[in-house]
Amino acid sequence: MIPALRLDDVSFSYGTVPVLERLSFSVAPGERVALLGKNGAGKSTVVRLIAGLQRPSEGTVWVGDWDTRDCVPEQLAWRVGSVFQHADQQLFARTVRDDVSFGPRALGVGEREVERRTDRALEDLDLTAHAEQHPYDLPPAWRKIAALAGALALEPALLVLDEPTVGLDRALRTRVTRALLDRSAGSVALLVITHDLTFAAETLERGVVLDRGSLACDESLTGLLGDVTRLEPLGLAPPPVAALSAALDLPGRPVRAADAAAALARVARGRLAP
Amino acid sequence: MKSLTLDHASYWYAATDSSALRAVSLDVAQGEVVALVGALGAGASTLLLVAADLAPRVIGGRLEGSVSRHDRSGIVLPTPWTQVSGMAFTVWDEVAFGPANLGWPAHEIARQVDRALERLELVPLASRDPATLSGGELQRVIIAAILAMDPGLVLFDEPAAELDAEGAALLWRLIRLLAKEGKAILLATSALDALPDVADRVVWLEDGAVRAVGTPDLLAEGAACDAGLGTSVATVWRTGGLPAPYPLTVAHAVRGRR
Amino acid sequence: MTGSRLHPFTLLAIAGALPALAWILPAPDGAAATLVVSLVLTLTPGARLGLTGIGASPGWRRRLVVFRMALLTAAPFWLFLLLLHDVPTTIATGLRITTMVATFVWLVAVLEPARLVEAMVAAGWSASIAYLLAATLSAVPVLKARAQRIVEAQRCRGLSPRGGIPARLRALQALALPLVLSALHEVDERALALETRGLVPGIRRTPLAPPHDPAAERAARWALLLVCLFTLVRRLIVQHPS
Repeated sequence: MIPALRLDDVSFSYGTVPVLERLSFSVAPGERVALLGKNGAGKSTVVRLIAGLQRPSEGTVWVGDWDTRDCVPEQLAWRVGSVFQHADQQLFARTVRDDVSFGPRALGVGEREVERRTDRALEDLDLTAHAEQHPYDLPPAWRKIAALAGALALEPALLVLDEPTVGLDRALRTRVTRALLDRSAGSVALLVITHDLTFAAETLERGVVLDRGSLACDESLTGLLGDVTRLEPLGLAPPPVAALSAALDLPGRPVRAADAAAALARVARGRLAP
Repeated sequence: MKSLTLDHASYWYAATDSSALRAVSLDVAQGEVVALVGALGAGASTLLLVAADLAPRVIGGRLEGSVSRHDRSGIVLPTPWTQVSGMAFTVWDEVAFGPANLGWPAHEIARQVDRALERLELVPLASRDPATLSGGELQRVIIAAILAMDPGLVLFDEPAAELDAEGAALLWRLIRLLAKEGKAILLATSALDALPDVADRVVWLEDGAVRAVGTPDLLAEGAACDAGLGTSVATVWRTGGLPAPYPLTVAHAVRGRR
Repeated sequence: MTGSRLHPFTLLAIAGALPALAWILPAPDGAAATLVVSLVLTLTPGARLGLTGIGASPGWRRRLVVFRMALLTAAPFWLFLLLLHDVPTTIATGLRITTMVATFVWLVAVLEPARLVEAMVAAGWSASIAYLLAATLSAVPVLKARAQRIVEAQRCRGLSPRGGIPARLRALQALALPLVLSALHEVDERALALETRGLVPGIRRTPLAPPHDPAAERAARWALLLVCLFTLVRRLIVQHPS
């Protein structure tokens, strides 16, 4: 099966400044990958390459079986839904619904299909109540959610999100997690840049870590997030739940809150048992 | 000595009927770090604008009750790209923008700017163009820029939002250092897990009113956990059905285990 | 000699004199002459990177960016003129308007707002007024950067810059509206944010690096003013011989 995304020995420089160095990794359909690393490690550049806004200096970025070198961004919109940082500034339509439906309509799918995709995206993010409001009447956090809905409405095979939870409170973050998990269950591949490792633990399963433009590691988040000796040199810190699991040596070293709670309960019952 | 005192302060944004703040009373002493927590829209940002004397003086609206300040305030807004001057071509000039506007002598400006750059670990970036910085770097620059104006009362609105783990750790250490130097700090943040090591007191805002005030232990109480305002560890403890009192941090959990 | 090393007041004087002369001097020759001068200016080095953008084309093509931008910005005016006037009027007015546009585009590219503020403050102006003027200049690269981001975001949602007129109009709406809306929305935030940076009326701002103002430049500014006055008087006398 073709991966939804594959970076094949990709290097990229802005002028003479090297940003990415021989980067290779892939994301299968339905897989949920976190792209991690310090500020300036090159993560946002990866998103721009996938969206077709930039071409790699060397190597190839494959979106499905398309070489991004042969595509323009509006073509790639058929397969990739990208949400960049500060997406709350890109909204323009009179209502949230109109803005969310902009993507599928631009793709040219029939009007009935546009409606279906828009309704689904709004529902997944609990935005239906705000659908008829003007985007700029909503606070910035809600505009970010609306921008995410716009990408979901494209119903792409691959979603690429750059810091989707900055400025959101716990309730909104949970909402985003639910929507993304739901899509991934439908074989949508996810690549999410985030420095919120708690969100990564709850939503994603694999971590690709960049260090100064090169791949530092590519493995399951469960193993990675609890290991402070590996995370520290990369400029990352274990999120609290993973740190708790490691400190208390919980069975299975869970990184998600619900799993950790269950493990704790089991351990407590075990200790109380005669 | 109290740096900031709000007494039954209520505030309405211009052209709105519902109040953004309802009879809020709180104070921040010099050398103290007070954190504001709450859901989005609970009023933390509004409270900071009132404390900074920007509401209603600059943005309009109506204020009832009293606000008194003993020190000059500085506020770091959650959107560094709006707070950037747009007129500095280097980070050094950007940080110097504020002090220069205050009319300080050049040597004093240089001293404050150099100190602020060092504290925010920005010295390697001092000659960079602010327009080329990442969000996290820019946020650190703005924090430096406000600190360079040497306010006695420092107000932070989600200062760690754009920062990575290292940047956030640096920021929390710096806030404790500023408090030790005698500054009063009022901080709105959703980074609840950092608060036990950073805040002396926590104020829980709900719908514009103060719901509870206490030490960071507040964030391990059942009510806070249920409202989504508990620390991660406390929330996991409660979800697992283990008995109260819930540990606040990993360190507390480990200590409790022994 | 790079334009941006000149004193900001000199740059402003040039930016004022060229359009003034374009209107004073008889068209089409006088206007054509000033237009040539202003276009040559757009080709000189010293254009700020902020205007041309980061990662812009290297070397000689960077110089053409300001030149191209001047022509592109002036083009719609020619279209309107052609619709409204006969050919000689179109040419005369078009040359004059293009001089104005080209000079303004050059000024924005070459005048560093920070230097302008420093120069005005050193000359005794209040920082708030200086900032107002400078902000107008710095608005261009900021808006340009934002426009770029919006274009990219909309393209990634499937907006194609190609297609027939209705498609292009829709494209324009999808690009222009977010730009204007978010910019307007930010005006309030910016005003507030600048207060937080100490920009309040009444305090004398400390000049950090006042630009050097050599006597030669001061003399040149006076000379430019005199040239404008002289040509104006001469034009008036020629029109009304007594």
